Amino acid sequence: MTNARTLHLKVARADGIAPTLRRVHLVAADGARLPPAAPGAHITLTLPAPAGGRPLHNSYTLVSADPEAGYEVIVRLSERSRGGSRHVHESLAPGDGIEATAPHNLFALHSQAKKHLLIGGGIGVTPMIAFVTHLREQGASFELHQIAAPAEVGVFEALLAPRAGERIHIHAGRDAFGLTALLAAQPLGTHVYACGPAGLMDGVEAAAAALGWPETHVHREDFGAAGGEPFVLRLAASGIEIAVAGDQTMLEAIEAAGVDTPSLCRGGACGVCMLPVSEGTPEHRDHYLSEAERGAGCLVMPCVSRSRSATLVLDI
Amino acid sequence: MATRFKSDETFRDDYRYGNSDEGVLRFPFPFVEDSYMYSVNMEPHTRSATPGVFAAAFDVDEHYVTECAERARALALEPGRCMVLPHMRDAEWDTLELIMESLALDYPDQFTLERHGLDWTWTNRPLGIHQSFRFGDATTLPHPPFEYIVRQAQGDFTLQDQRDGTLYIDGGVATTPADWSLAFDVGMTFHEWHGPVPLAHQAGVFDRALQYLMRIRYGEPARRLNWTMTVHPRLDTSPENYPLWGPDRAGLTAENIGSQLFLRVELQSLFRLPRSNALLFGIRTYLASLDDLTRVPKWGRRLHRVMRDLHPDIAGYKGLTRYHDVLVAHLAQFDDGEPTTPGIAADIAVLPA
Amino acid sequence: MSTGTASNRPRYAPLAPDPRARAHLLVTDHQDIAEAAFAPGIGLADFPERWDVVAHALVLPEPFGGPGVQHFRSASHLLALLRHRLAAETMGLRLYVTGSEPFVWDAARVAIEAGMGREEMRLFATGKPVRRVSCVHCRTINPGVTTTLVTCAGCGVVLTVRDHFSRVHNAWMGVQCDAEVPGEVPAIEDLSA
Repeated sequence: MTNARTLHLKVARADGIAPTLRRVHLVAADGARLPPAAPGAHITLTLPAPAGGRPLHNSYTLVSADPEAGYEVIVRLSERSRGGSRHVHESLAPGDGIEATAPHNLFALHSQAKKHLLIGGGIGVTPMIAFVTHLREQGASFELHQIAAPAEVGVFEALLAPRAGERIHIHAGRDAFGLTALLAAQPLGTHVYACGPAGLMDGVEAAAAALGWPETHVHREDFGAAGGEPFVLRLAASGIEIAVAGDQTMLEAIEAAGVDTPSLCRGGACGVCMLPVSEGTPEHRDHYLSEAERGAGCLVMPCVSRSRSATLVLDI
Repeated sequence: MATRFKSDETFRDDYRYGNSDEGVLRFPFPFVEDSYMYSVNMEPHTRSATPGVFAAAFDVDEHYVTECAERARALALEPGRCMVLPHMRDAEWDTLELIMESLALDYPDQFTLERHGLDWTWTNRPLGIHQSFRFGDATTLPHPPFEYIVRQAQGDFTLQDQRDGTLYIDGGVATTPADWSLAFDVGMTFHEWHGPVPLAHQAGVFDRALQYLMRIRYGEPARRLNWTMTVHPRLDTSPENYPLWGPDRAGLTAENIGSQLFLRVELQSLFRLPRSNALLFGIRTYLASLDDLTRVPKWGRRLHRVMRDLHPDIAGYKGLTRYHDVLVAHLAQFDDGEPTTPGIAADIAVLPA
Repeated sequence: MSTGTASNRPRYAPLAPDPRARAHLLVTDHQDIAEAAFAPGIGLADFPERWDVVAHALVLPEPFGGPGVQHFRSASHLLALLRHRLAAETMGLRLYVTGSEPFVWDAARVAIEAGMGREEMRLFATGKPVRRVSCVHCRTINPGVTTTLVTCAGCGVVLTVRDHFSRVHNAWMGVQCDAEVPGEVPAIEDLSA
């Protein structure tokens, strides 16, 4: 109930571990304890955009999380960086303040797995490090296959040290790795976890499905679909126009504009905040409206839903 | 204002229990309007700025000490009322940390938590507990970590493991259950657990509620109120002991119903636990007699209207059928037909004498 | 007490092979499987590997013998060997179970203990309803219940069977039927009625 939506962190250390990989160690700016986190959890950092644009929100899986020692993330410099990973690599320095969300886990280990099969590709190693640490502590059965560019095999060997016998395998490139044979050999009760390029994760899902694995045993990294594109909201009755930012909900924007509108659960379940739409196409993200109501496009739940059209007109 | 803890209350046998005037006024009256139907009535569990049951993550009231004694008594009689499946070990420690942190933050005069790495010291002044232990090492506590902390909390709790697109009840403590059995229900999915609730499934209430619950984030808990009725201030209305409390329902008369029938309100809260990714579900029970509640004019009017118009299936599920006519007839005297204000507020600052 | 239509009674769908599965195993606690156990257009031939129970001690099944029909001496015998078989299986197997409700959920428990999820098994209870009823007051399991009321073999109270089923305990909840007014016992009905 501590509204831990925003954490105020500072950089304790930042080390280059490879030309494109930087490990950043974050602690609470005021030295207080940080929320603990489960392996697989991520945080979303608020990073300044270049040239004074809107700040960027980039999600990173926690490599380690300890309330006192802090959080560790590893950031790869993206060639198509919008400025976020470039900032982390080129500007971020010890002592810098940075805002983050509390850890959130959409990539959890399954409590009933007899065995955990971990498949990482490139920077997808980050949750795997957290998983391996946890599974070792638990004495659980696991096997990690990490795919690395041939030039970076040594970097990943160091990251995953100490290696545990046959349980950790580092492959130089995806071709060096027999995915189908690996999945076909897994005992009943295995859960597979994939993190890396979308092509790798799609490949794991497709190969597992072709071998008859049920979807509930196949897990991939997921940062969730929070936020989205900004859009403009027009309130027909009052003529008020409200800009809804990418990291803001429609309901928050309406409230920030000083318009009083009822709400309860703020999670798309209760139906209390429902509003009538007179123009534009809502992007429905709630669990309240029926398929027919969604299709009609005349109602929207502003607490979670957004707009596909640049402008959405509400009949209020 | 410091809470004065009652020391001489019982929730079984001789039923020595009562609410102070403050206790009545802060009662979480569950009916927001003059009628009742199931809905997804969940909202963020944020601390209210004004005093009351919503001012803390885990409300501690004047019954704290005696309710903890009742829990100890119930667990001594039936240790199986607290059980946690082995894969929920992290969730046990998560629960201990959440409750200790919250109590220490909300009631610094009563509870203190000192942490140095994994060496923690917990002080609970109302119960006279001073315990040093090592976080994560169950051998340093007198009970397993979940049981240790729920023995120092009011209300029942369950632990939900989130997997396969649903929530499984994989642990909990239930010494104050409103007719459900933890021992029987352990391991059930969310929908199986709620199977016996009438009408709500058809309305899609549980489907929507489940989607909402699975998205609850750390630090952003949710809550709702639920209610039923109990004869006498009995916390343990478990199906296990139904033969002990069931006959009370047949003993209600027009003369005794005001003092013997209690509105039983559950303040249900849901917290995402950080290490385990499990959900902690708090079921905090508040009891007030009809005599207490009808001292508040708005609540008297509304109770009459809600009970008079209650759907018979809901009345049946909540066990009201046998005495429903007596109840409505009794409440009629408090309903003058005047309109009521929306919401649950008592609308008075002091109870009439 | 629950009246109304509320229930978490298991719902069973007639069996059909899951086209996404790599391998299929059908098990039953009797010998003849009713047509009703299969979806339209589906039959025994769609399940080349089948385990059944012949209820005598002369058979010697080969649980690792590959596709074919294997006979077991009893349901317990079948379940014990199913546990061994699943321990040696790889991912992609679907387990199909048909028979009495207690057997169906016993087999499901074996599968869950082997790490299978609910979506890796298909269950279909057949025959006259027979329930295992757990007395919530004294924890006694009363097997073979075919009526809405049963006298608990443990504590002697007459239990009404609530529409509340535990897949973990493979039991329905039994609660004293006349707790509120002793002697006020409702009419007994057959479960298949």
